[in-house]
Amino acid sequence: MPPEAAEPSAGNLPVPVWLMVLLFVLLYAGMVFFDRFSGWFNAEVYMPYASLSDLQAFQPRGGGGPSPEHVRAVYENNCGLCHSNDGKGKPGQAPPYVGSEWVLGSPERMIRIPLSGLSGPVQVEGTEWNLSMPSMGAALSDDDLAAVLTYIRTSWGNKASAISPEQVKAVRAQIGARSQPWTAEQLKAVP
Amino acid sequence: MNYGPLLFLAAFFALAGSWFGFVLTPQAQIGQLQQTNILGAPTLYPQARPGLARQGLEVYRANGCADCHSQQVRQSATVCDVLLSAAGTNPPAVLSALFKVKPGLSEPDARQCLSSLPQRLLEGLKPEEADTAVKVLNVAGAKAVVAIVPVGPDIARGWGKRRSVARDFIFDYPVALGSQRIGPDLANISMRQPDAGWHLRHLYAPRLEVKGSAMPPYRFLFEMRKIERCPSPDAMVLPRDAGPPPGYEIVPKPEAIALVAYLLSLRADAPLFEAPLTFAPGAGAAGGTNAPAAAELTPTNAPAASDATPTNAPAK
Repeated sequence: MPPEAAEPSAGNLPVPVWLMVLLFVLLYAGMVFFDRFSGWFNAEVYMPYASLSDLQAFQPRGGGGPSPEHVRAVYENNCGLCHSNDGKGKPGQAPPYVGSEWVLGSPERMIRIPLSGLSGPVQVEGTEWNLSMPSMGAALSDDDLAAVLTYIRTSWGNKASAISPEQVKAVRAQIGARSQPWTAEQLKAVP
Repeated sequence: MNYGPLLFLAAFFALAGSWFGFVLTPQAQIGQLQQTNILGAPTLYPQARPGLARQGLEVYRANGCADCHSQQVRQSATVCDVLLSAAGTNPPAVLSALFKVKPGLSEPDARQCLSSLPQRLLEGLKPEEADTAVKVLNVAGAKAVVAIVPVGPDIARGWGKRRSVARDFIFDYPVALGSQRIGPDLANISMRQPDAGWHLRHLYAPRLEVKGSAMPPYRFLFEMRKIERCPSPDAMVLPRDAGPPPGYEIVPKPEAIALVAYLLSLRADAPLFEAPLTFAPGAGAAGGTNAPAAAELTPTNAPAASDATPTNAPAK
Protein backbone atom coordinates (compact mmCIF):
# COMPACT_ATOMS: atom_id res chain seq x y z
CA MET A 1 0.00 0.00 0.00
CA PRO A 2 1.64 3.27 -1.10
CA PRO A 3 1.98 5.98 1.50
CA GLU A 4 -0.83 8.53 1.39
CA ALA A 5 0.05 12.06 0.17
CA ALA A 6 0.25 14.62 2.96
CA GLU A 7 -2.61 17.12 3.45
CA PRO A 8 -1.95 20.24 1.37
CA SER A 9 -1.29 23.31 3.49
CA ALA A 10 -0.90 27.02 2.75
CA GLY A 11 2.63 28.25 2.99
CA ASN A 12 4.04 31.73 3.35
CA LEU A 13 4.72 33.74 0.22
CA PRO A 14 5.57 37.44 0.39
CA VAL A 15 3.03 39.84 -1.22
CA PRO A 16 4.63 41.24 -4.38
CA VAL A 17 5.85 44.82 -4.07
CA TRP A 18 4.00 45.97 -7.23
CA LEU A 19 0.70 44.84 -5.70
CA MET A 20 1.37 46.87 -2.57
CA VAL A 21 2.23 49.92 -4.68
CA LEU A 22 -0.89 49.45 -6.80
CA LEU A 23 -3.07 49.22 -3.69
CA PHE A 24 -1.61 52.41 -2.27
CA VAL A 25 -2.10 54.24 -5.57
CA LEU A 26 -5.74 53.11 -5.65
CA LEU A 27 -6.20 54.14 -2.04
CA TYR A 28 -4.77 57.57 -2.78
CA ALA A 29 -6.97 58.04 -5.85
CA GLY A 30 -9.97 57.01 -3.77
CA MET A 31 -9.11 59.57 -1.11
CA VAL A 32 -8.75 62.33 -3.68
CA PHE A 33 -12.12 61.40 -5.23
CA PHE A 34 -13.74 61.29 -1.81
CA ASP A 35 -12.33 64.67 -0.91
CA ARG A 36 -13.66 66.23 -4.08
CA PHE A 37 -17.06 64.67 -4.54
CA SER A 38 -18.25 63.17 -1.25
CA GLY A 39 -19.71 66.33 0.28
CA TRP A 40 -18.30 64.77 3.49
CA PHE A 41 -21.37 62.58 3.95
CA ASN A 42 -23.64 65.60 4.27
CA ALA A 43 -27.20 64.32 3.90
CA GLU A 44 -28.18 67.36 1.84
CA VAL A 45 -25.45 67.12 -0.78
CA TYR A 46 -26.48 64.96 -3.72
CA MET A 47 -25.06 64.44 -7.16
CA PRO A 48 -24.46 66.62 -9.25
CA TYR A 49 -23.36 68.88 -6.39
CA ALA A 50 -19.86 68.13 -5.21
CA SER A 51 -19.95 69.88 -1.85
CA LEU A 52 -22.04 72.07 0.40
CA SER A 53 -20.44 75.23 -0.99
CA ASP A 54 -21.17 74.04 -4.53
CA LEU A 55 -24.81 73.47 -3.54
CA GLN A 56 -25.01 76.89 -1.91
CA ALA A 57 -23.85 78.54 -5.13
CA PHE A 58 -26.98 77.18 -6.82
CA GLN A 59 -29.50 78.45 -4.27
CA PRO A 60 -32.07 80.86 -5.71
CA ARG A 61 -30.94 84.47 -5.40
CA GLY A 62 -32.85 86.86 -3.20
CA GLY A 63 -32.39 89.72 -5.67
CA GLY A 64 -36.01 89.97 -6.74
CA GLY A 65 -37.41 90.02 -3.19
CA PRO A 66 -39.64 87.26 -1.83
CA SER A 67 -41.13 84.97 -4.47
CA PRO A 68 -44.72 85.63 -5.62
CA GLU A 69 -45.90 82.34 -4.12
CA HIS A 70 -44.38 83.30 -0.79
CA VAL A 71 -46.00 86.75 -0.81
CA ARG A 72 -49.31 85.22 -1.61
CA ALA A 73 -48.97 82.73 1.22
CA VAL A 74 -48.11 85.56 3.63
CA TYR A 75 -51.17 87.47 2.41
CA GLU A 76 -53.49 84.52 2.75
CA ASN A 77 -52.21 83.59 6.21
CA ASN A 78 -52.23 87.10 7.66
CA CYS A 79 -54.58 89.37 5.73
CA GLY A 80 -56.78 87.22 3.55
CA LEU A 81 -58.46 85.43 6.45
CA CYS A 82 -60.54 88.54 7.19
CA HIS A 83 -60.07 90.74 4.14
CA SER A 84 -60.74 87.75 1.87
CA ASN A 85 -58.35 86.30 -0.68
CA ASP A 86 -59.81 88.39 -3.47
CA GLY A 87 -59.32 91.63 -1.52
CA LYS A 88 -63.04 92.36 -1.42
CA GLY A 89 -63.29 92.23 2.36
CA LYS A 90 -65.98 90.42 4.34
CA PRO A 91 -69.16 92.08 5.56
CA GLY A 92 -69.06 92.67 9.30
CA GLN A 93 -65.49 91.42 9.47
CA ALA A 94 -63.13 93.60 7.47
CA PRO A 95 -63.39 96.34 4.84
CA PRO A 96 -62.32 95.76 1.22
CA TYR A 97 -58.88 96.51 -0.24
CA VAL A 98 -60.07 96.94 -3.81
CA GLY A 99 -60.32 100.65 -4.52
CA SER A 100 -59.93 101.58 -0.84
CA GLU A 101 -58.53 105.07 -0.28
CA TRP A 102 -56.52 103.72 2.70
CA VAL A 103 -54.77 101.25 0.41
CA LEU A 104 -54.22 103.46 -2.59
CA GLY A 105 -53.34 106.56 -0.56
CA SER A 106 -50.25 107.48 1.43
CA PRO A 107 -47.79 104.60 1.97
CA GLU A 108 -46.81 106.07 5.37
CA ARG A 109 -50.40 105.79 6.50
CA MET A 110 -50.89 102.29 5.10
CA ILE A 111 -47.72 100.86 6.67
CA ARG A 112 -48.87 102.01 10.13
CA ILE A 113 -52.12 100.02 10.04
CA PRO A 114 -50.71 96.45 10.09
CA LEU A 115 -47.88 97.49 12.43
CA SER A 116 -50.15 98.58 15.30
CA GLY A 117 -53.69 97.74 14.21
CA LEU A 118 -56.67 100.04 13.79
CA SER A 119 -59.81 100.32 15.90
CA GLY A 120 -62.85 102.52 16.06
CA PRO A 121 -64.97 104.09 13.33
CA VAL A 122 -63.38 104.43 9.91
CA GLN A 123 -64.80 105.44 6.52
CA VAL A 124 -63.84 103.15 3.62
CA GLU A 125 -65.19 103.97 0.17
CA GLY A 126 -68.09 105.89 1.72
CA THR A 127 -69.12 103.10 4.10
CA GLU A 128 -68.56 103.37 7.82
CA TRP A 129 -66.91 100.43 9.60
CA ASN A 130 -66.50 100.21 13.34
CA LEU A 131 -64.30 97.24 14.13
CA SER A 132 -60.95 96.45 15.64
CA MET A 133 -57.98 95.11 13.73
CA PRO A 134 -55.06 93.67 15.73
CA SER A 135 -51.43 94.40 14.84
CA MET A 136 -51.17 91.68 12.21
CA GLY A 137 -47.94 92.87 10.62
CA ALA A 138 -45.81 93.52 13.69
CA ALA A 139 -44.41 89.99 13.63
CA LEU A 140 -43.58 90.03 9.91
CA SER A 141 -40.14 90.96 8.65
CA ASP A 142 -39.66 94.27 6.83
CA ASP A 143 -39.23 92.40 3.56
CA ASP A 144 -42.40 90.36 3.98
CA LEU A 145 -44.50 93.27 5.15
CA ALA A 146 -43.32 95.49 2.30
CA ALA A 147 -43.96 92.73 -0.21
CA VAL A 148 -47.43 91.97 1.08
CA LEU A 149 -48.40 95.66 1.19
CA THR A 150 -47.14 96.03 -2.36
CA TYR A 151 -49.18 92.97 -3.29
CA ILE A 152 -52.30 94.60 -1.84
CA ARG A 153 -51.58 97.91 -3.60
CA THR A 154 -51.06 96.29 -6.99
CA SER A 155 -53.53 93.37 -7.09
CA TRP A 156 -57.17 92.99 -8.11
CA GLY A 157 -57.08 96.14 -10.24
CA ASN A 158 -55.40 98.32 -7.60
CA LYS A 159 -52.68 100.47 -9.10
CA ALA A 160 -50.54 102.25 -6.52
CA SER A 161 -46.82 102.62 -5.96
CA ALA A 162 -44.79 99.76 -4.45
CA ILE A 163 -43.67 99.90 -0.82
CA SER A 164 -40.02 99.15 -0.09
CA PRO A 165 -38.59 97.38 2.97
CA GLU A 166 -36.71 100.63 3.77
CA GLN A 167 -40.00 102.52 4.08
CA VAL A 168 -41.33 99.87 6.46
CA LYS A 169 -38.15 100.01 8.47
CA ALA A 170 -38.35 103.80 8.73
CA VAL A 171 -41.96 103.71 9.93
CA ARG A 172 -41.15 101.01 12.46
CA ALA A 173 -38.35 103.20 13.82
CA GLN A 174 -40.70 106.24 14.01
CA ILE A 175 -43.50 104.59 15.94
CA GLY A 176 -41.21 102.57 18.22
CA ALA A 177 -42.81 100.05 20.56
CA ARG A 178 -46.42 101.17 20.19
CA SER A 179 -48.99 98.71 21.47
CA GLN A 180 -52.15 100.80 21.11
CA PRO A 181 -54.08 100.48 17.85
CA TRP A 182 -54.49 103.61 15.76
CA THR A 183 -57.70 105.50 15.29
CA ALA A 184 -58.74 106.85 11.92
CA GLU A 185 -58.14 110.45 13.08
CA GLN A 186 -54.58 109.68 14.19
CA LEU A 187 -53.84 108.12 10.82
CA LYS A 188 -55.33 111.02 8.90
CA ALA A 189 -52.83 113.28 10.65
CA VAL A 190 -50.01 111.28 9.03
CA PRO A 191 -48.99 112.76 5.67
CA MET B 1 -7.50 24.57 7.19
CA ASN B 2 -4.52 25.69 9.17
CA TYR B 3 -5.72 29.33 8.97
CA GLY B 4 -9.18 28.88 10.44
CA PRO B 5 -9.18 31.89 12.80
CA LEU B 6 -7.79 34.14 10.05
CA LEU B 7 -10.51 33.09 7.62
CA PHE B 8 -13.12 33.66 10.30
CA LEU B 9 -11.80 37.12 10.99
CA ALA B 10 -11.63 37.96 7.28
CA ALA B 11 -15.26 36.87 6.77
CA PHE B 12 -16.33 38.72 9.89
CA PHE B 13 -14.71 41.98 8.84
CA ALA B 14 -16.05 41.71 5.29
CA LEU B 15 -19.63 41.30 6.56
CA ALA B 16 -19.24 43.86 9.35
CA GLY B 17 -17.75 46.34 6.86
CA SER B 18 -20.63 46.02 4.44
CA TRP B 19 -23.18 46.23 7.24
CA PHE B 20 -21.45 49.36 8.46
CA GLY B 21 -21.36 50.86 4.95
CA PHE B 22 -24.76 49.82 3.62
CA VAL B 23 -26.93 49.89 6.75
CA LEU B 24 -25.44 51.90 9.58
CA THR B 25 -23.93 54.83 7.65
CA PRO B 26 -27.02 55.56 5.51
CA GLN B 27 -29.17 55.31 8.64
CA ALA B 28 -26.99 57.85 10.41
CA GLN B 29 -26.89 60.00 7.28
CA ILE B 30 -30.51 60.15 6.12
CA GLY B 31 -32.41 58.12 8.72
CA GLN B 32 -33.60 61.20 10.63
CA LEU B 33 -34.83 63.36 7.74
CA GLN B 34 -37.77 65.57 8.62
CA GLN B 35 -40.26 67.70 6.74
CA THR B 36 -38.78 70.99 5.71
CA ASN B 37 -39.85 74.27 4.16
CA ILE B 38 -40.04 74.62 0.42
CA LEU B 39 -37.48 77.16 -0.78
CA GLY B 40 -38.89 80.66 -0.52
CA ALA B 41 -42.29 79.63 0.83
CA PRO B 42 -43.60 78.75 4.30
CA THR B 43 -45.04 75.44 3.04
CA LEU B 44 -43.93 72.17 4.59
CA TYR B 45 -42.67 69.43 2.30
CA PRO B 46 -43.27 66.56 1.85
CA GLN B 47 -46.83 66.06 3.02
CA ALA B 48 -47.91 62.61 4.18
CA ARG B 49 -49.97 60.84 1.56
CA PRO B 50 -53.71 60.69 2.22
CA GLY B 51 -55.01 57.38 3.60
CA LEU B 52 -56.46 56.17 0.32
CA ALA B 53 -53.16 56.85 -1.43
CA ARG B 54 -51.35 54.93 1.29
CA GLN B 55 -53.59 51.96 0.60
CA GLY B 56 -52.78 52.52 -3.05
CA LEU B 57 -49.10 52.02 -2.29
CA GLU B 58 -49.97 48.52 -1.07
CA VAL B 59 -51.79 47.83 -4.34
CA TYR B 60 -48.77 49.23 -6.19
CA ARG B 61 -46.57 46.74 -4.30
CA ALA B 62 -48.93 43.82 -4.68
CA ASN B 63 -49.11 44.20 -8.45
CA GLY B 64 -45.39 44.64 -8.93
CA CYS B 65 -45.64 48.06 -10.51
CA ALA B 66 -42.13 48.82 -9.26
CA ASP B 67 -40.79 45.95 -11.41
CA CYS B 68 -41.31 48.05 -14.53
CA HIS B 69 -41.58 51.62 -13.24
CA SER B 70 -38.94 53.52 -11.34
CA GLN B 71 -39.62 56.48 -9.09
CA GLN B 72 -36.32 58.28 -9.22
CA VAL B 73 -35.47 61.22 -11.41
CA ARG B 74 -31.80 61.68 -12.18
CA GLN B 75 -30.07 64.96 -12.79
CA SER B 76 -26.72 65.29 -14.47
CA ALA B 77 -26.01 68.95 -13.80
CA THR B 78 -27.45 72.26 -12.72
CA VAL B 79 -27.05 75.43 -14.73
CA CYS B 80 -27.99 79.06 -14.26
CA ASP B 81 -30.04 81.05 -16.76
CA VAL B 82 -30.44 84.82 -16.76
CA LEU B 83 -33.99 86.07 -17.07
CA LEU B 84 -34.53 89.66 -18.12
CA SER B 85 -37.91 90.91 -16.93
CA ALA B 86 -37.81 94.70 -17.32
CA ALA B 87 -35.70 97.03 -19.41
CA GLY B 88 -35.69 99.98 -17.01
CA THR B 89 -35.64 103.61 -18.04
CA ASN B 90 -32.22 103.93 -19.66
CA PRO B 91 -32.28 102.06 -22.99
CA PRO B 92 -28.76 103.02 -24.17
CA ALA B 93 -27.19 101.79 -20.93
CA VAL B 94 -29.20 98.56 -21.07
CA LEU B 95 -28.20 98.01 -24.70
CA SER B 96 -24.52 98.39 -23.91
CA ALA B 97 -24.97 96.07 -20.91
CA LEU B 98 -26.62 93.53 -23.22
CA PHE B 99 -23.66 93.64 -25.61
CA LYS B 100 -21.34 93.23 -22.64
CA VAL B 101 -23.05 90.12 -21.20
CA LYS B 102 -23.85 88.58 -24.58
CA PRO B 103 -21.01 89.33 -26.99
CA GLY B 104 -21.94 88.74 -30.60
CA LEU B 105 -25.50 89.98 -30.15
CA SER B 106 -26.48 92.15 -33.11
CA GLU B 107 -28.18 95.50 -32.48
CA PRO B 108 -31.53 94.59 -34.10
CA ASP B 109 -31.58 91.37 -32.08
CA ALA B 110 -30.88 93.30 -28.89
CA ARG B 111 -33.70 95.76 -29.59
CA GLN B 112 -36.00 92.86 -30.45
CA CYS B 113 -35.03 91.21 -27.17
CA LEU B 114 -35.82 94.37 -25.19
CA SER B 115 -39.19 94.76 -26.88
CA SER B 116 -40.39 91.25 -26.01
CA LEU B 117 -39.81 90.91 -22.29
CA PRO B 118 -39.62 88.80 -20.19
CA GLN B 119 -36.80 87.01 -21.97
CA ARG B 120 -34.52 84.10 -21.17
CA LEU B 121 -31.42 86.07 -22.07
CA LEU B 122 -28.56 83.68 -21.28
CA GLU B 123 -28.66 79.93 -20.79
CA GLY B 124 -26.40 77.30 -19.30
CA LEU B 125 -24.10 79.53 -17.25
CA LYS B 126 -22.07 78.79 -14.16
CA PRO B 127 -23.42 80.49 -11.02
CA GLU B 128 -20.65 83.08 -10.82
CA GLU B 129 -21.00 83.96 -14.53
CA ALA B 130 -24.74 84.40 -14.11
CA ASP B 131 -24.26 86.60 -11.03
CA THR B 132 -21.84 88.81 -12.94
CA ALA B 133 -24.22 89.17 -15.89
CA VAL B 134 -27.15 90.00 -13.61
CA LYS B 135 -25.06 92.60 -11.81
CA VAL B 136 -24.08 94.27 -15.10
CA LEU B 137 -27.71 94.37 -16.24
CA ASN B 138 -29.09 95.60 -12.91
CA VAL B 139 -26.49 98.37 -12.70
CA ALA B 140 -27.76 99.56 -16.09
CA GLY B 141 -31.26 99.81 -14.60
CA ALA B 142 -32.71 96.66 -16.13
CA LYS B 143 -34.29 93.98 -13.98
CA ALA B 144 -32.60 90.60 -14.36
CA VAL B 145 -32.65 87.53 -12.13
CA VAL B 146 -30.80 84.23 -12.01
CA ALA B 147 -32.90 81.12 -12.63
CA ILE B 148 -31.62 77.78 -11.31
CA VAL B 149 -32.26 75.10 -13.93
CA PRO B 150 -31.65 71.40 -13.30
CA VAL B 151 -30.75 69.49 -16.46
CA GLY B 152 -30.43 65.84 -17.36
CA PRO B 153 -31.97 63.21 -19.63
CA ASP B 154 -34.83 62.41 -17.25
CA ILE B 155 -35.67 66.08 -16.87
CA ALA B 156 -35.57 66.53 -20.66
CA ARG B 157 -38.10 63.67 -20.94
CA GLY B 158 -40.41 65.61 -18.66
CA TRP B 159 -40.19 63.03 -15.89
CA GLY B 160 -39.47 65.69 -13.30
CA LYS B 161 -38.19 69.16 -12.70
CA ARG B 162 -35.38 68.24 -10.37
CA ARG B 163 -33.65 65.12 -9.11
CA SER B 164 -35.32 62.92 -6.53
CA VAL B 165 -33.88 63.24 -3.04
CA ALA B 166 -34.29 61.10 0.06
CA ARG B 167 -36.67 63.61 1.62
CA ASP B 168 -39.25 62.96 -1.10
CA PHE B 169 -39.79 59.47 0.32
CA ILE B 170 -39.84 59.95 4.10
CA PHE B 171 -43.54 59.07 4.38
CA ASP B 172 -43.31 55.95 2.20
CA TYR B 173 -42.73 52.49 3.55
CA PRO B 174 -41.41 50.66 1.68
CA VAL B 175 -39.91 53.09 -0.77
CA ALA B 176 -40.90 51.93 -4.26
CA LEU B 177 -37.79 53.23 -5.99
CA GLY B 178 -37.76 50.56 -8.67
CA SER B 179 -34.73 49.67 -10.74
CA GLN B 180 -36.05 49.01 -14.24
CA ARG B 181 -37.67 51.33 -16.70
CA ILE B 182 -39.77 49.16 -18.93
CA GLY B 183 -42.39 51.87 -18.47
CA PRO B 184 -41.77 55.55 -17.78
CA ASP B 185 -40.64 56.90 -14.43
CA LEU B 186 -43.56 57.65 -12.13
CA ALA B 187 -41.95 60.01 -9.61
CA ASN B 188 -44.01 62.90 -11.03
CA ILE B 189 -46.85 61.10 -12.77
CA SER B 190 -49.56 63.32 -11.29
CA MET B 191 -47.80 66.38 -12.68
CA ARG B 192 -47.93 64.92 -16.19
CA GLN B 193 -51.32 63.28 -15.97
CA PRO B 194 -53.60 64.63 -13.24
CA ASP B 195 -56.77 63.05 -14.64
CA ALA B 196 -58.09 60.15 -12.53
CA GLY B 197 -60.30 58.93 -15.39
CA TRP B 198 -57.27 58.64 -17.65
CA HIS B 199 -55.46 56.50 -15.07
CA LEU B 200 -58.44 54.19 -14.64
CA ARG B 201 -58.87 53.68 -18.39
CA HIS B 202 -55.11 53.19 -18.69
CA LEU B 203 -55.14 50.49 -16.01
CA TYR B 204 -58.12 48.80 -17.64
CA ALA B 205 -56.75 48.91 -21.17
CA PRO B 206 -53.35 50.63 -21.47
CA ARG B 207 -53.41 50.71 -25.26
CA LEU B 208 -56.57 52.76 -25.26
CA GLU B 209 -54.60 55.65 -23.86
CA VAL B 210 -51.02 55.03 -24.97
CA LYS B 211 -50.58 53.60 -28.42
CA GLY B 212 -48.21 50.63 -28.45
CA SER B 213 -47.95 50.49 -24.67
CA ALA B 214 -46.14 47.41 -23.32
CA MET B 215 -48.12 47.47 -20.10
CA PRO B 216 -50.40 44.51 -19.42
CA PRO B 217 -54.04 45.36 -18.70
CA TYR B 218 -55.00 45.15 -15.04
CA ARG B 219 -58.61 44.10 -15.60
CA PHE B 220 -58.83 42.20 -12.33
CA LEU B 221 -58.87 45.59 -10.62
CA PHE B 222 -62.23 46.17 -12.29
CA GLU B 223 -65.55 44.44 -12.07
CA MET B 224 -68.03 43.81 -14.87
CA ARG B 225 -71.56 43.70 -13.58
CA LYS B 226 -75.07 43.81 -14.83
CA ILE B 227 -76.70 47.21 -14.77
CA GLU B 228 -79.52 47.00 -12.26
CA ARG B 229 -82.01 49.82 -11.99
CA CYS B 230 -79.65 52.59 -13.10
CA PRO B 231 -75.96 52.66 -14.09
CA SER B 232 -73.36 53.24 -11.39
CA PRO B 233 -71.91 56.75 -11.25
CA ASP B 234 -68.47 55.11 -11.05
CA ALA B 235 -68.90 53.16 -14.28
CA MET B 236 -66.06 53.53 -16.78
CA VAL B 237 -66.69 55.45 -19.96
CA LEU B 238 -65.07 53.34 -22.68
CA PRO B 239 -65.19 53.33 -26.47
CA ARG B 240 -67.78 50.90 -27.81
CA ASP B 241 -65.37 48.21 -29.06
CA ALA B 242 -63.54 48.09 -25.69
CA GLY B 243 -66.58 48.43 -23.52
CA PRO B 244 -68.78 45.81 -21.87
CA PRO B 245 -71.67 44.09 -23.67
CA PRO B 246 -74.99 45.96 -23.61
CA GLY B 247 -76.68 45.85 -20.24
CA TYR B 248 -73.37 45.56 -18.39
CA GLU B 249 -71.02 48.11 -16.92
CA ILE B 250 -67.38 48.12 -15.81
CA VAL B 251 -66.73 49.56 -12.37
CA PRO B 252 -63.32 50.01 -10.72
CA LYS B 253 -62.84 47.97 -7.57
CA PRO B 254 -61.64 49.79 -4.41
CA GLU B 255 -58.09 48.61 -5.20
CA ALA B 256 -58.11 50.44 -8.50
CA ILE B 257 -59.42 53.61 -6.90
CA ALA B 258 -56.76 53.42 -4.18
CA LEU B 259 -54.03 52.80 -6.75
CA VAL B 260 -55.13 55.81 -8.78
CA ALA B 261 -55.22 57.92 -5.60
CA TYR B 262 -51.63 56.83 -4.97
CA LEU B 263 -50.57 57.67 -8.53
CA LEU B 264 -52.20 61.08 -8.20
CA SER B 265 -50.21 61.68 -5.03
CA LEU B 266 -46.89 61.08 -6.80
CA ARG B 267 -45.36 64.45 -7.37
CA ALA B 268 -41.91 65.53 -6.23
CA ASP B 269 -41.03 68.84 -7.80
CA ALA B 270 -40.94 71.23 -4.86
CA PRO B 271 -37.72 73.27 -4.74
CA LEU B 272 -35.68 72.23 -1.71
CA PHE B 273 -32.35 73.34 -0.32
CA GLU B 274 -30.76 70.06 -1.44
CA ALA B 275 -32.43 70.23 -4.87
CA PRO B 276 -32.84 73.90 -5.75
CA LEU B 277 -34.64 75.15 -8.81
CA THR B 278 -36.48 78.26 -9.92
CA PHE B 279 -39.89 78.25 -11.48
CA ALA B 280 -39.40 80.81 -14.18
CA PRO B 281 -42.33 83.21 -14.26
CA GLY B 282 -43.70 83.61 -17.76
CA ALA B 283 -41.01 81.43 -19.31
CA GLY B 284 -43.30 78.42 -19.55
CA ALA B 285 -41.33 76.26 -17.15
CA ALA B 286 -44.19 73.88 -16.47
CA GLY B 287 -45.45 73.56 -20.01
CA GLY B 288 -42.09 73.60 -21.72
CA THR B 289 -40.20 70.93 -19.84
CA ASN B 290 -43.21 68.69 -19.77
CA ALA B 291 -43.75 68.66 -23.51
CA PRO B 292 -42.07 65.42 -24.66
CA ALA B 293 -43.81 63.22 -22.15
CA ALA B 294 -47.11 64.97 -22.64
CA ALA B 295 -46.92 64.34 -26.37
CA GLU B 296 -46.11 60.71 -25.72
CA LEU B 297 -49.04 60.33 -23.38
CA THR B 298 -51.62 62.07 -25.51
CA PRO B 299 -54.62 59.79 -25.79
CA THR B 300 -54.84 58.72 -29.43
CA ASN B 301 -58.02 56.74 -29.71
CA ALA B 302 -59.41 57.59 -26.32
CA PRO B 303 -62.97 58.50 -25.59
CA ALA B 304 -63.56 62.16 -24.90
CA ALA B 305 -61.88 62.40 -21.53
CA SER B 306 -63.31 65.79 -20.71
CA ASP B 307 -66.85 64.48 -20.96
CA ALA B 308 -66.08 61.59 -18.68
CA THR B 309 -64.16 63.32 -15.92
CA PRO B 310 -66.80 63.51 -13.20
CA THR B 311 -67.75 59.85 -13.38
CA ASN B 312 -64.45 58.20 -12.59
CA ALA B 313 -62.91 60.66 -10.22
CA PRO B 314 -62.13 59.18 -6.80
CA ALA B 315 -61.88 61.59 -3.90
CA LYS B 316 -58.69 63.52 -4.46
